[in-house]
Amino acid sequence: MNKKEIAITLGIMCLVLTCAIVIQIKTMNTANSTASQTLRDNGLRDNVLKWKEKTDNLSQELKTAEAELERVRIEATQNDTTASAKEEELKHNNTLLGLTNVTGAGIVIELQDGKSGSSILTVEDSSDKLVHNDDLMSILNELRNAGAEAIEINGQRIINTSSITCEGNIIKINGERIGSPFTIKAIGSQALLYGQIIRSGSYLELMSDRGVNVKSVQQQDDIVINKYSGTINYKYMKTVDKK
Amino acid sequence: MKKEKLNNLAVAAIICVVCICLISVMFMQFKTIEETDITDIENMREAELRQTLAEWKSKYEETAATLEDTNKKIAEYKEAIDKDVKASKLIDEELEQSNLAVGKTNVTGEGVVVTLDDGEYEDIIAGDLIYLINELKYAGAEAISINDIRIINTTYIVDLGGFSYILVGDQRLEAPYVVKAIGNQDYLTSILNMKDSGFIDLYKNDDKKVKMETSSKIQIPRYNGEMTYKNMQIKEEEK
Repeated sequence: MNKKEIAITLGIMCLVLTCAIVIQIKTMNTANSTASQTLRDNGLRDNVLKWKEKTDNLSQELKTAEAELERVRIEATQNDTTASAKEEELKHNNTLLGLTNVTGAGIVIELQDGKSGSSILTVEDSSDKLVHNDDLMSILNELRNAGAEAIEINGQRIINTSSITCEGNIIKINGERIGSPFTIKAIGSQALLYGQIIRSGSYLELMSDRGVNVKSVQQQDDIVINKYSGTINYKYMKTVDKK
Repeated sequence: MKKEKLNNLAVAAIICVVCICLISVMFMQFKTIEETDITDIENMREAELRQTLAEWKSKYEETAATLEDTNKKIAEYKEAIDKDVKASKLIDEELEQSNLAVGKTNVTGEGVVVTLDDGEYEDIIAGDLIYLINELKYAGAEAISINDIRIINTTYIVDLGGFSYILVGDQRLEAPYVVKAIGNQDYLTSILNMKDSGFIDLYKNDDKKVKMETSSKIQIPRYNGEMTYKNMQIKEEEK
């Protein structure tokens, strides 16, 4: 009787182990077939990194040039009151456009994809727990409604032409990939922003009810939001002469 | 009898240890999967890598063009300083360009016009417009308006009064909503028509009425309001 039990247990153990080994071998096989591709991928990856570095260096150079431009612009306009008023307006415009680093009071929201439930059986609603691009769009809209002056999501400054899109399971803002956890910074009236975001029935509350991990909503006094890192170019629109 | 019991115990212990080992291996596996950062270059596949490479290349070119432009402006300003002439023409040009970007001027150009109207059972809601604006921006729209209200960076769109009105900025609008966008016509239409994800394709069989037209001469008015800010200050770059 006892021996029989042992035999059965060992039998089951062997079966499980064999299954595991077979699965492992199968995975190894598919991995092998992609090995040559991985090599090609590595070449591509190096290339991507090379271009990223080149662009980063150039951006740095551009930053220096922009600072220099501002300096010579001020120098060239300092003895001319109309010109220096225009210089001020230009600076004002650049701040509106998101081309300057800014600081001020506001709120910081921290979000994270919710952990998929303890049971594997709840796969169908695990998508509810994730932060999607339309969630970020809705929060952005609420922040704007509360008068946010500058907004940044995971280091990406939101400007006039920023879009928040979703490609597969990756969210892209300004063409750059971002992922969970999300940090949303907004400068504006603290009371209005905070009131809007934590009011009952707010979009953030809906997300929290859905299972998204809303880590914190904080009012901060010295939020720093960096300028847009890309370049802005307009090719298709032209100013119509005002008559 | 005693020996058999001891044997059983030993077998049970071994099985126990093996099980623990297996379980911990499985957990390690799960953990690695969870910690994989999907936004990292290290984990991209070939197609993604190709796309990213193309993106970085075009970004590089754009940056190079802007840098060249900036250097040219610096040289012009320096010349003005050296010769001690007024730099008003230079600053006028720069200001004109910057007013165009901010939305302080009436603009014209090629693009698309999307008209949205309430259906028999369902009304257009703010969410529809937010979604459309986001997609237009993704497709490279340079200027956008809803019922001739210029959309700028701070514009919000919310439902008002039981969905029959939509507030865009601080203006109350009613259906039909005419959304105009200036940008590359081909790019705008192909993104909006894209099967299964494009705005026009998604609303194809919807109760809500959505249609798109292209035009080579779209007119979008300037932002009609003050553009000010009072809570943020420019933070000077640390040297």
